[in-house]
Amino acid sequence: MIDKLVAFALKRPKLIFSIILLLVLASLAAFTRVKVDTDPENMLPEKEFVRVFNHEVKKEFTIYDYVVLGVVNEKDPNGVFNPETLEKIYKIAGQVKKIDGVIGYELMSLANKDDIEQAGPGAISFRWLMGEPPYTSADALRIKTRALENPLFYDTLISGDGKALCIYVPIKAKKLSYRVARSIQKVLKEYSGDEQYYLTGLPLAEDAFGVEMFWQMGISAPLAVLVIFLLMWWFFKHVALVIMPLVMAIIVVIITMGLLVWLGFPIHIMSSMIPIFLLPISVLDSIHILNEFFEKYRTFKDKNKTISYVLNELYRPNLFTSLTTVAGFFSLSFAPIPPVQVFGIAVAFGVALAWVLTVLMIPAYIALLDEKKMGSFGVHEDDIGKGRLSRSLAAWGRFTVLRWKQVLFASVALIALSIYGITRIHINDNPTRWFNRKHPIRVADKVLNKHFGGTYSVYLVLEAKDKDAQVFLEPQMLRYIQGLQGYLFEKGSVGKSTSLADVTRKVYYELLGGTKKNKVIPPTPQAVAQTLISFENSHKPDDLWHFVNPDYSRANIWLQLPSGDNQQMSEVVRQVDKFFKMNPAPFALSYNWAGLTYINMVWQNKMVGGMLINFLGSFIIVLFMMTVLFKSPVTGLLSMLPLTVTILFIYSLLGFTGKEYDMPVAVLSALTLGLAVDFAVHFIERSRMFYAENKSWPKTAQEMFGSPARALIKNALVISIGFLPLFASPLVPYNTVGFFMFAIMLVASIATLMILPALITGFPWLVFEETKVKAVCSCGKCILMSIIIASTVAYILLGYKLARLNLTTIICVAVIAVLSGTCWLVSRQKTCKDGT
Amino acid sequence: MRKLLVFLAVLFFAAYSWAQELSVDEIVSKANNASYYQGKEGRAKAKMVVTDAQGRKRERQLTILKLNLKAGGDQKYYVYFHKPNDVKGMSYIVWKHVGKDDDRWLYLPAMDLVRRIAASDKRSSFVGTTFLYEDISGRSIDLDEHELIASDPAYYTVKNTPKDAALVEFSYYTVKIDRNNFVPMRAEYFDKTGKPYRTIEALEVKDIQNYPTVTRMKAMDLNSNSDTVTEFSDISYNIGLNDSIFTERFLRNPPQQWLKE
Repeated sequence: MIDKLVAFALKRPKLIFSIILLLVLASLAAFTRVKVDTDPENMLPEKEFVRVFNHEVKKEFTIYDYVVLGVVNEKDPNGVFNPETLEKIYKIAGQVKKIDGVIGYELMSLANKDDIEQAGPGAISFRWLMGEPPYTSADALRIKTRALENPLFYDTLISGDGKALCIYVPIKAKKLSYRVARSIQKVLKEYSGDEQYYLTGLPLAEDAFGVEMFWQMGISAPLAVLVIFLLMWWFFKHVALVIMPLVMAIIVVIITMGLLVWLGFPIHIMSSMIPIFLLPISVLDSIHILNEFFEKYRTFKDKNKTISYVLNELYRPNLFTSLTTVAGFFSLSFAPIPPVQVFGIAVAFGVALAWVLTVLMIPAYIALLDEKKMGSFGVHEDDIGKGRLSRSLAAWGRFTVLRWKQVLFASVALIALSIYGITRIHINDNPTRWFNRKHPIRVADKVLNKHFGGTYSVYLVLEAKDKDAQVFLEPQMLRYIQGLQGYLFEKGSVGKSTSLADVTRKVYYELLGGTKKNKVIPPTPQAVAQTLISFENSHKPDDLWHFVNPDYSRANIWLQLPSGDNQQMSEVVRQVDKFFKMNPAPFALSYNWAGLTYINMVWQNKMVGGMLINFLGSFIIVLFMMTVLFKSPVTGLLSMLPLTVTILFIYSLLGFTGKEYDMPVAVLSALTLGLAVDFAVHFIERSRMFYAENKSWPKTAQEMFGSPARALIKNALVISIGFLPLFASPLVPYNTVGFFMFAIMLVASIATLMILPALITGFPWLVFEETKVKAVCSCGKCILMSIIIASTVAYILLGYKLARLNLTTIICVAVIAVLSGTCWLVSRQKTCKDGT
Repeated sequence: MRKLLVFLAVLFFAAYSWAQELSVDEIVSKANNASYYQGKEGRAKAKMVVTDAQGRKRERQLTILKLNLKAGGDQKYYVYFHKPNDVKGMSYIVWKHVGKDDDRWLYLPAMDLVRRIAASDKRSSFVGTTFLYEDISGRSIDLDEHELIASDPAYYTVKNTPKDAALVEFSYYTVKIDRNNFVPMRAEYFDKTGKPYRTIEALEVKDIQNYPTVTRMKAMDLNSNSDTVTEFSDISYNIGLNDSIFTERFLRNPPQQWLKE
């Protein structure tokens, strides 16, 4: 079949290119409808409980997503509490309120908050904390004293040391935060001075990441293409030939993305990574082909003949590697996260397309090339194997064959070490840390969380079982909440919390004349109610409804966390669970979480867990495919070995270096599988081809460490070095991708070229004897085969939710039992015994 | 001669209609009297329903007693809470002064506590409703500059600009006043950017003891999207309220005869 395809491509190159050009143009046209969705919340389906609940809570307690503007003055001895700074803040708050997309009415700043205080004996007053900018230092310090005494402001709007204050800017929608932040920056330009301004907050981090990610796509991806081009040029020394695979890779990206857009999928954080994944995978096949073409051209001295020969030679391994990669990515469609499904299917499609285009375009392109201009292309047969690379590879080959035991021993040691490293992996993520340390958002995050209780908001919502009992007017209940807040603060994961108990206590304290012993919850529900209605006499009575609903059946505790790490959030959740378990509430209630920090934890946990299961699933499916392709479960397993070592080793690096297992890392595991197995496929497939000719492993090994090994190493070098520019990106996930590409390619190629030859030297039957003995004749092999099939079936059934766990388990056990039984019977057949 | 007659006639009508058009200060003063100074004293029950942006409703029921010391001048108010149940018995006294800050006292029965509320300004919420203190007791007319911006057969429209803009959150407000009885029918407040952000409307006006009286009114906050509708009932004027009721002593011992439900 391949012959016909290649012949067709060589004969009708112009037709092929016209069709491809049309496809590209159509895809480009589709881009006019592109929709961008950078909201990580969409990692969860819209109907997911936590999202629905979050929405409900935001509405019920009129909470918004906030951009946090921090103002720090380290120069003035009184910090921000000097007339000049406060005047600036007053004016900034006024201007920020007017920015389109900001809910001005709900802006939280010193200039927009009401304060209750005693005004002489027996008198209280409600007045704006900063109704107008102060004129004198004394006025400014008075504001400081008042703000520090108010639990609603302390550590939220102003820092304990008085050096910093925060303005919480509520925004209409999260996706506006980047634009709003830019408008705020414009406002800030007019107010330069001793003050430092910082902008942060999860919504901003998320939205800014989305925006900057597209910038990075525009810089990093082309840069990677450029570096790959330069490397290939250096290897093959022919611009026209080298350009082709790259153009093809770009075409693959354009068509895949165009199709995605055309089908109406928004470009999400995940799908924006598609090009970065597709580029290296798409050129892999071509590099093998080019390498072979480069080495054989001088032999044939005819470009068409050479390419026919090369494609014939590489047809099977290229098909296998593409198929396994497709399978690996396609299995992402089982993931419980919609954008990951889209991503997996799109990459799988892209890889398949890359294979088709490689088979069609490369010969078509070569057909169009002017033979005369090929000039000195290629190496003379005599020169093959004389380069430094070739000599080293040959030596390498001899070494692995000769010292196979040592190699295997080292491998086992490495595996053990890697497993130890993996046990030290920390699973954690935090969108703010998707930026590197020098990024303004990261800097702001660090500075503000040093001064304040925390810029990461979470809401713990308590709900009374008895909705009509006005439970949250009960003093016991408020004291219970106060106890919970105290417990959390003491444990240290929560920097600051604010609740109805704080409001009640503060107002009651001022009403009673403000002595220390009055900093308590009023004694009766009536006293609580009257205290709160007194609060409602203020300028901002609605502030009460951020903490309780008007029925007093639901209360909201606002927790501020100094870090958006999943681990920190999980820790807080654990502590709250523990508190509720240890201290039963005075009234029956349930509790739930809302807020971006919590949502992030949920989807990231789901993602990390989901990707792990997915990864195991892809592993099984790829193993199954290998078994089928090599017609042997043992060879199948063998081909998975270098990849297993690679993955174990790379992930152990996370454990050893302390880099956290986060969302990008989780996604990259799929890539590891897709790329790393390719080397083994090429190695085993071509070894078998050579072995079929010369029937001698040492000779085969020698040949393997010639052209195939060179292709392998070139591949590894091209991709690993090609993606190094990603290290320069200010976005950490891009650095991660860069590192993974680099590590996967290098480690996988080395592992393949070490472990496989060593193992084959020791146990040649693993690869070669298989062809002689039918698999069905060996009971052990057959049971292995059955297990692989059964797990594949189980994984697919479970992945697509075609079956429940219990039913599937039964089916699998049955399948394994039946197949193994059959194996045993078949292996006792006479023909088999004769065969062995 | 005829020309002269025509001229005189024109002059006469012009003078007449000019005399009919009141000065803006007169209009404002009459409107102030119509809304806050009807009768010598009086009482009314008020039911206030706050509806927030989510449609949740909260109710307050209270009795208001009022005594005019001088028409257009100082006044005293006594406000007693019947509902919600938890705040029953809570009461306020307001001594409204023209030309200086009001005196306000608050009584919280659950703590048996009387507190004077130092009125730094009166534009704070009236017990959590969309009405402000100033809406209940009236804003002194000499705090604003008044300007008649429209006059049609039914209404005068007056624009009121504060003399000291720093003291209030609005930049100006307009009031539409019924030409016949000088009852303000609708007030609209504009924020510092010139955007309307709150309105107060008279929904129903009844003649009670010959005093045109607003019996239903609605305040809307366009920022928070909430509103409060106040319904007055059992309104009666000149019932013989005694000045002594409006003292701290009566906060703790409410004048039950006037507060019956």
